[in-house]
Amino acid sequence: MKAQCASLWLLGTTLVLCSVHTPALRRCPLFVDMHHLEESFQEIKRAVQTKDTLQIITTLSTVEILRSIKPTDVCCVTKNLLEFYMDRVFKDHQELKPQILRKISSIANSFLYMQKTLRQCVHRRCHYSEEATHATRTVHDNYDLLEIPSAAIKSLGELDVFLAWIDRNRREADPV
Amino acid sequence: MLPHLLVPLAALLSLRLGPGTHGSELPKPPEAWFEAEFFHHILCWLPISNQSKSTYYEVQLAWYGRSPWESLPNCGQALELCCDVTMYTLHLYRSNGYRAKVRTVDGSRYSNWTFANTRLSVDDVTLKVDSVKLEMHEGFIFGMIQLPRPQVAPPGDTYESIFTNFRQYEIAIRKVPGSFKSSRMVDHENFTFPIPGEVGKFCVKVKPSISSRTNKGIWSEEQCITLTKQYFTVTNLSIFFTLILLLCGPLAYCLVLHLYVRRRGTLPAVLVFEKPSPSILISKPPYPEMQDAIQPLHEETFLKVSPELRHSDLHGSMNIGFSSAKPSLQMEEPQFLLPAPHTQACGALGKGEPPDLQVSCSDGGSSGSGSSGSCSSSTDSGICLQEPGLNPGSGPLWEQKVGSTSQGQDDSGISLVQNSEGQPGRTQNSSPLGHISLLGPEAPAEEDPATAAFQGYLKQTRCTEEKTTIAACLEEETPLTDGLWPQFRTCLDPEAGWPPPGLAKGYLKQDPPEITLAPSGVPPGQCNQMTEEWPLLGLTICGDLGPSDWSFTHDLAPQDGVAAPGGLLGSFDSDLVTQPQISSLYSSE
Repeated sequence: MKAQCASLWLLGTTLVLCSVHTPALRRCPLFVDMHHLEESFQEIKRAVQTKDTLQIITTLSTVEILRSIKPTDVCCVTKNLLEFYMDRVFKDHQELKPQILRKISSIANSFLYMQKTLRQCVHRRCHYSEEATHATRTVHDNYDLLEIPSAAIKSLGELDVFLAWIDRNRREADPV
Repeated sequence: MLPHLLVPLAALLSLRLGPGTHGSELPKPPEAWFEAEFFHHILCWLPISNQSKSTYYEVQLAWYGRSPWESLPNCGQALELCCDVTMYTLHLYRSNGYRAKVRTVDGSRYSNWTFANTRLSVDDVTLKVDSVKLEMHEGFIFGMIQLPRPQVAPPGDTYESIFTNFRQYEIAIRKVPGSFKSSRMVDHENFTFPIPGEVGKFCVKVKPSISSRTNKGIWSEEQCITLTKQYFTVTNLSIFFTLILLLCGPLAYCLVLHLYVRRRGTLPAVLVFEKPSPSILISKPPYPEMQDAIQPLHEETFLKVSPELRHSDLHGSMNIGFSSAKPSLQMEEPQFLLPAPHTQACGALGKGEPPDLQVSCSDGGSSGSGSSGSCSSSTDSGICLQEPGLNPGSGPLWEQKVGSTSQGQDDSGISLVQNSEGQPGRTQNSSPLGHISLLGPEAPAEEDPATAAFQGYLKQTRCTEEKTTIAACLEEETPLTDGLWPQFRTCLDPEAGWPPPGLAKGYLKQDPPEITLAPSGVPPGQCNQMTEEWPLLGLTICGDLGPSDWSFTHDLAPQDGVAAPGGLLGSFDSDLVTQPQISSLYSSE
């Protein structure tokens, strides 16, 4: 009974803090080891990007697509892109090399933890702005223009862009 | 028919000669990659295997997700295998990166494109510092890391602005000629390295890193510094001056105190000794008009002399450290001053002195006139007369020191031998000695007393001298009858040695028994001569000196050291008399 009370008390406190401190919610504090993620990607970057033959087409690096996201939409956009990678990219990519597959799995697990963290602070239906809606839709449209293997490999190759954007938003939210 | 075939043939030829169309299979570069440092981006590729002199490579670059491919005309010239694409990738640090591709061109033939392995991004930039400046201060090496400042960088794009946080540097140091063994991380561009007490040449290199990024870093070039012994450091100089102050402070204080004390302090009057003139013993008396005058003695002064004292033997004792086994005789009266010059004691005495005085003078040949005080009195002057009861027959000659008291403790001065066997005859025999009282012939028999008697000083008495003088004068009809100053004359052979005069305090040290006096048979003329030689003191001992076996065989004192009565003795330079005697005393001791 005491443990249940304590967990309920903790959840309620978190919700109260999230609801009261809206700017903090919009900032989406992500407690994740970004350095580990970046190291994991660097180990698979060459293998993945070498296979990307569509050099000019991009899914996440369209012109100012992520730089135009407002701070209030960062949390929802982050959540949406995490779902994009978890539901489409990691599942569509077929990796044969075990070393690369292990690193991709590690990155996926970290993304899963990030999703859980964000669910505590983000409502189920985000109120996207026009810019946020346009950005997430462009990412999905670009992914759909390509063939699935090429799209998946290209999206994996652009993880560094997504991770850099997350890291920048995290440091802006908590400049330590 | 032929015109209808021309169109497809032309289409076929255009397809074969279009971009990317190879006349023959021309191999493409096997691999292309980026190498980048801070604002120094290089695209390199591997050559093809069978390249000819006309083979060159074409490079194209694209801003990832922003622009189409762009050919780089300055790349791929001749057989170059790397191309500097910095100027085409200046926005690298503000974008998602660049892609590049390379192909082989040989004449009209082109190969396929070879894409760079990776997209050129910020993560691919290898970090490196420009240089390191080293300085040494008091056992520490101060290092200042110089970050790169490329001129082609756009305004605002600095190392610190691009990599704002989590900048770290790995510092490695070695001592020549050793190698780098360890390193440490620092978080700032300025660092210190302690090198306590070491000298020599030290080299430092730095490798930067960003803790939040995966950028690799490379070591900078070694920067060396030579450490030498620094003696004149701030710490050493401060310690030196502090020690100087600590040492000089007390010295200065002592010096000031000494000077202050010297100015203020003055010697007590009793410690001020007038340096006697060397010729005082033989010079004329202080009163020039009294130089040759014979001062008569007051009768009353002689009345104070106890007969016993005249007859008692005189034996000396050291002033310090010696205690006479026998009580020393002391004068009762504190003062015994010679009368005024106009008095002619000798003559008066010779012409009829009080009987007691005469007796005392005559009898006290070897004894001195003086007080009849017991030896219990103080002899700080060293003179102590024997008590009358102890040695009635041998009154020692003694001199009363000016200012001395007859009462008091026995000091280490002259103490007369308590001769229980004092014989008048003995006294008689010793009477010519005047101021010198010695043990008689019986002295050798009395070994211990004699030895004791000769330890120390010989007390001189004025009375004895006077008596002797009187006797001599009576015999010789000397000018003493003219009322001159009583002159104490001794008929001792001067060459044989004048008995050592008393100390400044009135002591005349005696020699051991082996010292014998000169024969008593001194001619009167010699007495006169000796008197003339010592006019002031006039201490002459004439007449029978006593036992014939008594003789002074060695010089008892300097010839100018003559015992004098009372006040005159006060002017004696005791050092002249006592110094050799003291030495002999020590030797006898």
